[in-house]
Amino acid sequence: MIKIDYNWAEPRTYFSTEGRKVPTLMVMRQKIILRSNFLSKFKSRFLLTLLLTTYCVTSLKAQNNDNITITGRVFDDKTGVGLPGATVHLKNTTHEVQTDQDGRFRFLTGQKLPVVIIVTYVGYQGKEVTETRRTNIDIPLTGTAGQLGDVVVVGYGTQRRKDLTSAISSVKQEEVAAIPVASFDAQLQGKAPGLQINSNTGVPGDGIFVRVRGTTSINADNNPLYIIDGVFINNTSLQTVNTGGRATSPLADLNPADIENVEVLKDASATAIYGSRGANGVVIVTTKRGNFNSRPKLNLDVSNGENRATRLWKLTTGPQHATLENEYYTNSYADALALGNSAGEVQFKTPPFTGTGWNPTAATGRGAPDVQNTYDREHQLFRTGALQNYDLSLSGGNKETQYYLGAGYSHQDADIRPLSFERAELRFNVDSKVTDWLQVGVSNSFSRSYRKQGRAGDGPDGGLLQSAINTPTYLPQFSATGQPLDYAGFDNLTILINYYDVHTISLRYIGNLYADAQLIKGLKFRTSWSLDYNNYNESQYWNNLTQDGAPPTNGLATSALTQNSTWINEQTLTYKTVFGEKNNFGVVIGNTIQSNLTTNTSATGTGFPNNSYTSISSAATTTSSQTWTKGNLASFFGRIDYNYASRYFLELSARADGSSKFGVNNKWGYFPSVGAAWRIKDESFLKEVQWLSDLKLRASYGLTGNQNGINNFAAQGLWSGGYAYPDNAGGAQPGTAPLQLANANLKWEQTAQSDIGADVGLFGDRIKVEANIYDKRTTNVLLQLPIPAISGFSTYNSNAGVISNKGYELGINSVNIRARGFVWSTNFSISGNVSKIVTLPTPIYQYNRDWLIMQQGHPLYSFWLYKQLYVDPQTGNPVFQGEVTGTGNTKSLAQLNATLPASARETMGNAAPKFFGGLSNTLSFAGFDLSLLFTYEYGNDVLNLQRFFGEGGGTRDANRVLLASQLNRWTTPGQITDVPRETDYGLNYTIQQNSRFLDNGSFIRLKELNLGYSLPARVVSSLHLTRVRFYVVGTNLWLLTKYTGPDPEANVTSIQTIQGLDLGTPPQPLAVQFGVNVTL
Amino acid sequence: MRPSPKKIFPLLLFAFPVLLVLASASCKKFLTVLPVNDVSDQVTIVDATSAETAVRGVYRSLAGGYAAEGGTGTGSYYGGLFETFGYLGGDDIVWTGSQSVIQQFISHNVTSDNGNLESVWTGIYQTVNGANQVIAKVPLVADPNFAAGEQNQLTGEGYFIRALCYFDLARTWGGVPITLTPTTTATQKNNIARSTLVQTWTQVLSDLNAADSLLSLPVTQNPVRVNKETAWALKARYYLYQQDWANAEAYATKVLGDVTNYQLLTPFNSWFQPASAVATRESVFELSYNATYQNSSRSSWQPPANGGTRQWAPGDSIAALLNNPLIGGGRSALVAQTSTGLWFGNLFYRSPATDPSYIIRISEVYLIRAEARAQQNEIADALSDLNAVRARAGVPASTDSTQAALLLDIENENRVEFALEPHRWFDLVRTGRAQAVLGITDPTKLLLPIPVNEITLSNGVLKQNPGY
Repeated sequence: MIKIDYNWAEPRTYFSTEGRKVPTLMVMRQKIILRSNFLSKFKSRFLLTLLLTTYCVTSLKAQNNDNITITGRVFDDKTGVGLPGATVHLKNTTHEVQTDQDGRFRFLTGQKLPVVIIVTYVGYQGKEVTETRRTNIDIPLTGTAGQLGDVVVVGYGTQRRKDLTSAISSVKQEEVAAIPVASFDAQLQGKAPGLQINSNTGVPGDGIFVRVRGTTSINADNNPLYIIDGVFINNTSLQTVNTGGRATSPLADLNPADIENVEVLKDASATAIYGSRGANGVVIVTTKRGNFNSRPKLNLDVSNGENRATRLWKLTTGPQHATLENEYYTNSYADALALGNSAGEVQFKTPPFTGTGWNPTAATGRGAPDVQNTYDREHQLFRTGALQNYDLSLSGGNKETQYYLGAGYSHQDADIRPLSFERAELRFNVDSKVTDWLQVGVSNSFSRSYRKQGRAGDGPDGGLLQSAINTPTYLPQFSATGQPLDYAGFDNLTILINYYDVHTISLRYIGNLYADAQLIKGLKFRTSWSLDYNNYNESQYWNNLTQDGAPPTNGLATSALTQNSTWINEQTLTYKTVFGEKNNFGVVIGNTIQSNLTTNTSATGTGFPNNSYTSISSAATTTSSQTWTKGNLASFFGRIDYNYASRYFLELSARADGSSKFGVNNKWGYFPSVGAAWRIKDESFLKEVQWLSDLKLRASYGLTGNQNGINNFAAQGLWSGGYAYPDNAGGAQPGTAPLQLANANLKWEQTAQSDIGADVGLFGDRIKVEANIYDKRTTNVLLQLPIPAISGFSTYNSNAGVISNKGYELGINSVNIRARGFVWSTNFSISGNVSKIVTLPTPIYQYNRDWLIMQQGHPLYSFWLYKQLYVDPQTGNPVFQGEVTGTGNTKSLAQLNATLPASARETMGNAAPKFFGGLSNTLSFAGFDLSLLFTYEYGNDVLNLQRFFGEGGGTRDANRVLLASQLNRWTTPGQITDVPRETDYGLNYTIQQNSRFLDNGSFIRLKELNLGYSLPARVVSSLHLTRVRFYVVGTNLWLLTKYTGPDPEANVTSIQTIQGLDLGTPPQPLAVQFGVNVTL
Repeated sequence: MRPSPKKIFPLLLFAFPVLLVLASASCKKFLTVLPVNDVSDQVTIVDATSAETAVRGVYRSLAGGYAAEGGTGTGSYYGGLFETFGYLGGDDIVWTGSQSVIQQFISHNVTSDNGNLESVWTGIYQTVNGANQVIAKVPLVADPNFAAGEQNQLTGEGYFIRALCYFDLARTWGGVPITLTPTTTATQKNNIARSTLVQTWTQVLSDLNAADSLLSLPVTQNPVRVNKETAWALKARYYLYQQDWANAEAYATKVLGDVTNYQLLTPFNSWFQPASAVATRESVFELSYNATYQNSSRSSWQPPANGGTRQWAPGDSIAALLNNPLIGGGRSALVAQTSTGLWFGNLFYRSPATDPSYIIRISEVYLIRAEARAQQNEIADALSDLNAVRARAGVPASTDSTQAALLLDIENENRVEFALEPHRWFDLVRTGRAQAVLGITDPTKLLLPIPVNEITLSNGVLKQNPGY
């Protein structure tokens, strides 16, 4: 991982009025460069060329050095560590230099003593030093202690953190960049209050679950809006191939190492300026840029490691399976006799695992349990995967231009074969001051992501985990003659592992070009053009040994090309002024237009000559299809902020959004907000309270909308053209049919959010607390509302329903110990959210067999199950809530087999946690640094569908594995267990949606442990380097949970209305990496 | 030389609002984006060509079609799920999968939240809406390019398909809500109550009569589209269900009179094997599939080794009957065995799954007439029709001479002749024999429940069938 060097200039001070008077500096820099042995040894021709062309021009100018030379060192007043790249400026002159890697500077001035030196450095309080005698000065700088002095990126601008009226969390990506996941959002877990993140799968590069302050929508998108360097990027997976439910993350195309900062905009005051796309929160990502006036910095980060799954499913052995299966037969036979069920008597008379010899695939006489073998497919599938990461960056700048060049390569194996993720990215960010009033710049990133994909989820054919953990362990993979065997619709695992061929290449360009013009003092005009282009190329080939390609299909290949492009143009006019000394006033107005186009072309071929032919052009039968969709958005927005003496704050913002998605009667939506804050600390009655260093109260209210995730043409009445049918037997002729009913009133979902918060600083800001409570109420929820099917349509795109989210967030940062050389700081966050569907016209059932339900009066992610109260200790039969016929083998067969009425099904549980958060500790001492990040969730339920299949009580016989937990079944009167007696009769194993499989998913996880050692400064400088850090990173090292599956964060699908369904999803792996970071 | 900001500023101050105004003027156009995959429903059936495409669309809805990867499905009527209603209940098909939605049909305990139930209900009414569009709009088209009779033919096809829809609705659910107009708004079809069973059957007959009068006689043999004789065949089946034996016999006779277009093909399997045997003269009406729209029956019947799931399969009893040379004869070709000896249905076997969905085969028309004649005590004629079917299958002729024995023979013949087609359940229910043969104690189970969501959405207007 690239470690950020901090010597960058404040990036927003583009409009320095100092002009181009820099000859002294340039000469100084030349000297620094030429003095550096390392650079002369460094063979990078392009680096030298860049430096020389940049600086030589200005070095021709002469300088007078007839007066004093001032030397000195700028360092952190707490740690004594030199601060490289600090600006040292001679007051009332144009002379300035920058400190070197040790914080030292050397100043050839044309001045005489006394001189006034101004030292500035980002993240530290500036200092003015008047020097009258010495020419060698030590200048200690005091850190601004965290975020109070920081600049926060807000919608269409920046603000000082201390001036915010809104709720915005910032995360320095550097703190978590070493976590080996493909997309940066997965690294943010536990880092920002109010931001809930679950990595639903161990497959790198797959999408994850991200929510800012709860879930506001059912059918529209619930993901936050992502903006990277001003580009509203696509976060909808372009995947079309079936990988068992989950989809890839478009954010994985970005290299986390290039990210400087992530801001999470949470309340309406912050997000309303994003109008109809702000309701789910906004994540603003700022990538690294160079620094004006700084020497080139080369940073190399290399890490290598391994990952593997630690918790897996516990399966029965072959003999255990056989014993359980025989017991099921024996019990069922006894019940059949008791019930006089002659068919059952025949069916269950002979347990299958009997006789001598060994014949596992026979109906009966498979051999006694103890002769059964155990075939461990699970550990054949799971592996220790390799992790590699290489990042190289070069950044720097002169007076006019700053640049950042980044190159990264990352390779990650999933913990299951044969899945992997690989990404190469190049980034080039440059900003140039064309004149003293005009600055232009570009951000570019180009990446290639390569994935080997597979079905790590639901579905029998091609399902990796399905094949590995659902096939009974007693069944061999190969026949006596070596032929691959498969069972119950699952593929042969060895065939899958050897021949899996699903791979995807994603080419992504994200770029932005802007021009900033300072029109008059305080008034700035900005125009920018952005492009997000993604070329997503998928191909899969199933040869004739796999089920999808088996005869008579004889090979199946698909190739799909999806292209997504968004262009955005925006203009803003920003004015900032101070009047009457204490009245700070700012205004932003702007407009933006944007267009998004997605096209897909795919071809499928079946009937290949043999497995050597994999191109679709070799196929006997080919089909193809095409889709095209486009959405346009035009917007106007504005914001006014005012504060009096940084004590009383008021902020108003509004946006008008016109969207092509909306119905003709509702083309335009309007989204206003108001925010206010009061810094009580500055009032006279608190001014003298020493222990309280800051206290600010905030309140905001506003409207935001949500239109993402609904079809671009959802409001239009449509007929489809794909209904081809022949006129005569033979080729199909084109046909048309009704597809969708129009809704001229269709519009955005509207979320009204109020937020009250406080920012508290204690003991000189050693402890800082940020607290918020909020109330979000979403109305006009976009729904595919069911309508009577007799209309010929089953759903209708409509606005109906109300969803409420209420919650709190608390973040505490403390510097526990700050002795010289030893720093220990802690960051704790906790957030709770209560969601409720306030009104919903009709319940919406989710996933196969309606495991989940969305129902008025209940939380969004509720399960819909039959509640197993207990297993009767005397009979071993389960007792269900709402059971009308009763159980027990005294009843008639009809009664026994009577299903529980659907009315007995209960809405219960909640896949969303009651509260969640993170705890991180950072310690540094004498070159060592250690950070520990724990993340946790409490009160979330997970439905362990693997148990539903694996605790079938023998009813599935050779079709499914039995989990080891089946061994807990009831066997003896008096026994207390929740696993019923094995039998074919009664409700023991016929109720699929059984609450028995609903587990508590609460957990605490040691998400990251990062231990580093930086070589001492003198060693490093003798090597002509700035910094060398060796480190080891452990991820997911420890997990505390009662969940019975491998990973309580697992979820079978990427469908956002479904959470907490764990079926055949690979767990997040434990990973350990070693790395070195070198800066020069 | 840089331009002075002082000059640019007024310019921008002027330009900015102008740009805004320009932007908003073109905004209306910018904010209107029309799809290219689909077209507006404002202009649908306006000329001969669009009338033809709309009628084909109704056939596609009727046929359903599981879309090949990358495409979209077109509904769940024939071509998979609806057929299962007809054969799963007949006790001859066993279920091997894990989803109880299928098992419910086999154990005659279908719950109103059964997903397949809702899919089929929705699929049928989707087809009804398509037919309503055709029936309402095609006659209004004024297009000189319409060849003589074609406008009537197309309209008649709409009536026929609507008749078939209500026929299937009636025999599955009893009296159902009747809708006869194209749906144009989301609320238009709210609160429509169920018609009685009699009213529903009346609607079927009324649509069949309209189809009969509008459709043309076949010019060439073409069982994938309907003609006047297809309407007669369905009328024969309709009258059989109404126990109007004379009319059933009469319409069957009219169809059987066309020996040019329809024939009992020998050997038995020649109407579905080899793969090129589609739209044979065996079929009075069959639905066509292609690589894009495939018949989903195949994957459920075929075993994994053939790329299917074998979710349901012929039970031991029917497999024994089919393989009995004296009962099944050539019909043993309907089933096959896996390498491990498991029986699977082999009527739908093509890859890609372009297997036709058989709606009316000529052997059914023979058996309709046989039953109608037997009911009218025309024993010899009935025996002749029955034995025509038996002879084609290569089994010995029946010699039973009593009405009761003959009717039982016909019932048993239907069982093996249509072992994998949606007949036995409906036949046993129609003849009132379901409870005796299948051991169903609760007569309310002879009708399926209305999907619960449909009841919920009806604001209490739609009443559930008794017993559910």
